Amino acid sequence: MSVKTFERGVFLPHYKEFSEGEPISTIALPQEVIIPLQQHIGAPGQALVSVGDKVKAGQKIGESSAFVSAPVHASLDGTVTAIEPRPSFTGDKVESVVIAVDMEQKEPQWPERDHTALSKDEIKAAIKEAGIVGMGGAAFPTHVKLSPPRPIDTIIINACECEPFLTCDHRMMLERTSDLVEGAKLIAKVVDAPNVIFGVEINKPDAIEALQNKIAGENGLSVVSLEVKYPQGSEKQLIKATLNREVPPGKLPLEVGVVVQNVATAIAVYEACHLSKPLIERVLTLTGDAAANPGNLKVKLGTPISHVIKERGGVKGAPPDAKDELQMPPHLVGKVIMGGPMTGWAQSHLNVPVIKGTSGILLFSPAMVVESEHTDCVRCAKCVDHCPMFLYPNYIGLYAEMGNFDEAAEWGAMDCFECGICVYVCPANRPIVQFVRQTKKEIAAAKAAK
Amino acid sequence: MPGQDIQLAISSSPHLRSQETVPSAMKDVLIALLPVTLVSIYMYRFYAVFLIAVCMISAVLFELLFRKVMKKQATLYDCSALVTGLLLALCLRPGTSWWTAVLAAFFAVGIAKELMGGLGWNRFNPALFGLVAVTLLAPLYVGANPSFAPLRQYFGPLDVITQATPLALIKQGAFEQLSLSQMLIASPGGALGETSALALIIGGAYLLYKKQIRWHIPVSMIGTILVIATFWGNPLANIAAGIPLYHIFAGGVLLGAFFMATDWVTSPVTTKGQVIFGIAIGVLVMLFRKALGPTEGVAFSILIMNAFVPMIDRLTRRPKFGELPVKKEAVVPTKPSVSKST
Ligand code: SF4
Ligand code: SF4
Repeated sequence: MSVKTFERGVFLPHYKEFSEGEPISTIALPQEVIIPLQQHIGAPGQALVSVGDKVKAGQKIGESSAFVSAPVHASLDGTVTAIEPRPSFTGDKVESVVIAVDMEQKEPQWPERDHTALSKDEIKAAIKEAGIVGMGGAAFPTHVKLSPPRPIDTIIINACECEPFLTCDHRMMLERTSDLVEGAKLIAKVVDAPNVIFGVEINKPDAIEALQNKIAGENGLSVVSLEVKYPQGSEKQLIKATLNREVPPGKLPLEVGVVVQNVATAIAVYEACHLSKPLIERVLTLTGDAAANPGNLKVKLGTPISHVIKERGGVKGAPPDAKDELQMPPHLVGKVIMGGPMTGWAQSHLNVPVIKGTSGILLFSPAMVVESEHTDCVRCAKCVDHCPMFLYPNYIGLYAEMGNFDEAAEWGAMDCFECGICVYVCPANRPIVQFVRQTKKEIAAAKAAK
Repeated sequence: MPGQDIQLAISSSPHLRSQETVPSAMKDVLIALLPVTLVSIYMYRFYAVFLIAVCMISAVLFELLFRKVMKKQATLYDCSALVTGLLLALCLRPGTSWWTAVLAAFFAVGIAKELMGGLGWNRFNPALFGLVAVTLLAPLYVGANPSFAPLRQYFGPLDVITQATPLALIKQGAFEQLSLSQMLIASPGGALGETSALALIIGGAYLLYKKQIRWHIPVSMIGTILVIATFWGNPLANIAAGIPLYHIFAGGVLLGAFFMATDWVTSPVTTKGQVIFGIAIGVLVMLFRKALGPTEGVAFSILIMNAFVPMIDRLTRRPKFGELPVKKEAVVPTKPSVSKST
């Protein structure tokens, strides 16, 4: 079996052992869900309901007329109690519909249909109606990605799951192999792509085997085994590894005839087409060295992360108390992260909802919390050696720290996709990703001022 | 409400770090220098112990002093002063006066490092800067004050230190006095750090293995010296006499190649730049050796190239991902799209 990969990058500890053997399970429903009207890149939606309205699971409650946007749906039956800005995972407040969940839930019925009979436009319409966005974290509306202005010859299903700790995609590949393959075929049909490649890191041999068995004898479908290296699941690196094509700086994968979709997204597409089911729940990984009971959970969108943590036994060594309140003792849990450990967001409080792009909730013990102090760059070139975009993170950091953002951009800040490798390897612990974000902001502001 | 009254660390991604820190890297350098340090102590006894102690202690004290005066936080924990002190001692000859050693440490840590802004901002390799400063200043103070007299007064005579350095022997063509194998394993003559090529190679291999240095600078520098030493004159006669190897084993080339030219702060960060840097140092070393006497050719060569590092980095910037055309596209791994079965 030949194993492919890209240049540079870094080998990270996996930390997948906490949850990779846990089958996908569900948790008790929350009393309240918070549905942000914007969970995607693009235009924010407008609320379609008012305070006091009764809503049904799957009912569309927010939408925008802009093309680059995706509607949002109520994830459970209940009553709208507020429409107001609520904290999101980035720490910013986002206009959200708050729903008090009914004690009694009617199991929603999704009418089955023959998804293979759908036309290209019908599939695309179904994807848009279901509110599907990229579920790997970037949250770009999928129907927009599937409207490329040039021909696409290959769909790559990003089944790398290259971030440490996360295992939800792995579990879905095992438990929903057939839905995944059907979803991938639907996506390929929309853009007339003759080839579908599943790119899987070789630390998931069972998933590779399951997929290979499933696609045996099908034309145009293949599984490519990839080296376990971060960021194997980044679009540009994935395309390089599987097809040896390079997306030029500042361009999208469609430039080289490729569209990349992640595992969860492909399954959501299948559900939207086969069942007309909107995106109202997702599988995520609750894990970390401080998690009492790590697992892969199917969670209704809008569920506060505190509820998810509590339902899985809370913090290791500190279960929820007699009043069923979540305990978060500072000597046992030092950090809560939404997303993966390399690109995710540390949370300051836990009433933040699970949204379409939430792939994980990580609980770190204080021992796992990294030092925040940094020193001057010692020019060791480790960041230069490992940067998968071939940039010069040392110079980006140096100039951004001095306030010389043009020079920081000159050394590649605008092409950085914030994978975090340079910070990971830096012996001086320099917060280069923060410098990059600052540079991007300053350069955008300077452009706007012109 | 759940989720209130919690103390959680808020920091930007990524949330993982490698084990690598500046102190851990400096400790690796100290470990790598251990073999040659031991050989020099074996050879020069008290002279070596004394010089190493004076250099390391004064390097640490000057760092403390300068940072105190400049009202900066102490950074001793990074261990870089210890590395500079040890490297400096290894560059000095046994019998160097304690004054000279302290002065060299002052120039190395105080002037070359702290005055430039501290570790990371220094343009020149501190140890070499200190060495070259005292070499150039020596005529001014030696003889002016009896307290600058060499150590011999205190420690009694030591024959080996008066022995000609290997480099001087090469210059005189007096190879028979020192065999290649002696130079490789251990031989007196020259600075503390020139006593054993093998010890330096072991140290360099350790740094390469620990990924603290890359191979590009040592290989390009040593390779250049080998090539020039072979082809300067009659190549066959040179090889027969083992001259290229003498050039590598003598005069601090290995110490320079593995421990000085590869200094993180004062070498290029680009791969191409590192190769150019190594070749240029090799050329300079050979020019110094052929044109001048057996002086600190390696130290001067590295310091000269240190000055060009920012320029080299700028001129050898690699293209970003996706900026170059890809040579060969992988075959899309599929079966023919025309279906055979119907
Ligand atoms: S500069 Fe950007 S792309 Fe390069 S390693 Fe750092 S975060 Fe990743
Ligand atoms: S890894 Fe850190 S210390 Fe090393 S060159 Fe990059 S920014 Fe500088």
